[in-house]
Amino acid sequence: MRKKILLFVLWACLFPALLISAQENVPEDSRSVVMRSTLIGAGFSNVFDTYLSPIEYEGFDVRLLHESIRDTRLMDGRVSFQSLTQANFSYTENPSKTGSMYTGLVSWNCAFHYRFRINDRLQALFGPMLDLNGGFIYNVRNSNNPAQGKAYGSVGASGMVVCKFRIARYPMTVRYQANLPLIGAMFSPEYGESYYEIFSLGNEGKHVSFTSLHNNPSLRQMLTLDFPIRKVVMRVGYVCDLQQAKVNRLKTHIYSHDFMIGFVKHFYLLK
Amino acid sequence: MLLLFFFGATLSSCIREDIAGNSPEDNFEALWKIIDEQYCFLDYKNQEYGLDWDEVHTRYARRITASMGSEALFEVLSEMLDELRDGHVNLSSSIGTSQYRAWFDSYPRNFSDSIQSNYLKKDYVNSSGLTWQILENNIGYVYCESFSDGIGDGNLDQMLYKMSVCDGLIVDVRNNGGGALTTAQKLAARFTNEKVLVGYICHKTGPGHSDFSDPQAVYIEPSDGIRWQKKAVVLTNRRSYSATNDFVNAMKQFPLVTVVGDKTGGGSGLPFSSELPNGWSVRFSASPMFDPEMNQIEFGIDPDVKADMAAEDFQKGADTIIETACRLLQNPAG
Repeated sequence: MRKKILLFVLWACLFPALLISAQENVPEDSRSVVMRSTLIGAGFSNVFDTYLSPIEYEGFDVRLLHESIRDTRLMDGRVSFQSLTQANFSYTENPSKTGSMYTGLVSWNCAFHYRFRINDRLQALFGPMLDLNGGFIYNVRNSNNPAQGKAYGSVGASGMVVCKFRIARYPMTVRYQANLPLIGAMFSPEYGESYYEIFSLGNEGKHVSFTSLHNNPSLRQMLTLDFPIRKVVMRVGYVCDLQQAKVNRLKTHIYSHDFMIGFVKHFYLLK
Repeated sequence: MLLLFFFGATLSSCIREDIAGNSPEDNFEALWKIIDEQYCFLDYKNQEYGLDWDEVHTRYARRITASMGSEALFEVLSEMLDELRDGHVNLSSSIGTSQYRAWFDSYPRNFSDSIQSNYLKKDYVNSSGLTWQILENNIGYVYCESFSDGIGDGNLDQMLYKMSVCDGLIVDVRNNGGGALTTAQKLAARFTNEKVLVGYICHKTGPGHSDFSDPQAVYIEPSDGIRWQKKAVVLTNRRSYSATNDFVNAMKQFPLVTVVGDKTGGGSGLPFSSELPNGWSVRFSASPMFDPEMNQIEFGIDPDVKADMAAEDFQKGADTIIETACRLLQNPAG
C-alpha cells in the first residue's frame, strides 16, 4: 500500500500538465486525473500522390486537434492512456498554379504510455500506439483519376517528453511527442487502376497492402507549451505531420506543418 | 536516442518524385516518361504499326533546346504525342489542346444534322439528352449525341413505352464522342433480357510496357425498367468514340441488334490525367478494354452492315444510313 501511495505521489510530481487543477477535498486514491485539450491551427501543407500527379502541390492547411489523457491503474498507476484525434484540410496548388488539389485527413491515435521519472521536472513516457486514418485527395482537373482515397491503420510506438518549469511565478509545461507507425495495412488502388474498375465492376485486385517502415515511414510530432492565464490553461503548439507511403508502386505523401492554439482542461473522475 | 531514431527513420526515407526542374528538356523528359510508364497501348501499337517509344524519344529529343519558347515546345510535344495515334491523348495548356484527329478527319463524315432534321421533323421529343421521334414508316428513331450527361431511368422508360408500337428501333450514336461508361452501359441494359458478357478491361500494374492486371470481365445486366424486345439497329460513324465505342461493342453482343454505318473511331483506353512540371496537363489511355474474344477495339469496331452516306441521297435530303437501317428493320427475314 505504501508503495502504491509513493508511486502515485511520484507520478503526480512528474506529470505537471495533469496537475494544474484544484485537488482539494478529494481523497487521492479515489480519483482519476483527466486532461483534455482542444486546439485549432493553420499552417503549410505539401501534398503529393503519383496516382494523381507526379508534381508536389503546396498550400495552406488548417487543423483541429482534440486530445485526452487519463491515468490508469495499470502497472501501479504508472501507465496513462492518450486519445489523440486530428482532422486537417488543405488547399494546395502546383508550382505553376495551373492545378489545385483539396486534401482531407482524419486520424485517431490512441496510446498507452509508461512513465519514466528522470528528475522532479522532467519525465519521459513511452508505449504502444494504435493509428487509424481516413481521408482523400481530390485533384480538380483530372479525368478518370480525379481523387485518391486514404484508409490505413497501424500499430506503432509513441514517445513523449514532458518538462515542467517556471518563468517568474508562472508555471509552464513544455511537451514533445512523436508517434511512429510500425506495422499496419493500407488501402490503395493498383498502379493504373481506375475507381470505375473498383466500384462499378467490383475488381478484386491487391487493394490492401501490408505496411511497415520500409514502405510507410510516417511520423507525427507535436511540440506544445502550456501556460496559465488566470484560471485558464492555454496551450500553443506546433504539429509536424509527415504521412508518406509507397504501395502498389504508387508514391504518396502529405506533409503538414501547423501552428496551434487552444486550451487545456484538467479534472478528476471519481473511481 | 529514441526520438533521434524517430527523426532519422522518417527524414532519411522521404518519399518524393524525381522531377528535377522546369526547363524544356525537363518537361520533354517528364512527358516521355509519363507515356512510357503509364500509357497502355505501347506494346499493341508496336505490333500494329511499329511504334517504338524509345525511338520516338531519340527523334524528338533532337528537337528540344534549352532556349526554345513555350509555343515551340508545345508544338514538338504535341507532335510526339500524335505518334500514339490516339484521340484520348491530349496535351492541354494556355496555348491550346493538342488532339490527334486523323481517326475521324481521314474518313467520310457520314452524318448531317440538317438531313437528320428531315427525319426528326418539328415534333420530336428531347428528353435527358436523347432526341427521339417515330418515323413515318413506324420505325422508332433515337439520337444520342453524348454520354457525358446522365440519362434518367424515367426518361428511358417513357421513351421505350412510347416506342413500343414501333416495328423496330434505331439508336443513332453517330458523332457521339463518348462520356461516362456507366451511362453508355445504362442505355445498353435496355436491350438485353439476360446478363451478357460484353468484354474485358485491365489496367497497368507497373511502369513496364507489359505490366497488366488479369482481364476483368465486363457484363451488361438487364435493366429493371422497360426493355426493348424487338429488332434494333445502332448507327455508327468514325466519330462514334470512347464510351460510344464501348456502347457499340456491348450492343453488338445482343442477338436482336445490328450495327449499321461506318467503322467506329475506337478509343478503348480509359483515359487518366497527369501533368508536366510547367503545369501543362496531359491525358492518356491508361486501361485497355477488349471485346468478349479479347480482341483490341482501340482502332474501332466494324459495323455488321457497312453503309456510307451516298451523294445522291444527300442531294435528295435522305440519310443513306438511316434508310439502310429502316430497310433492315422492315425486312421480316432481316
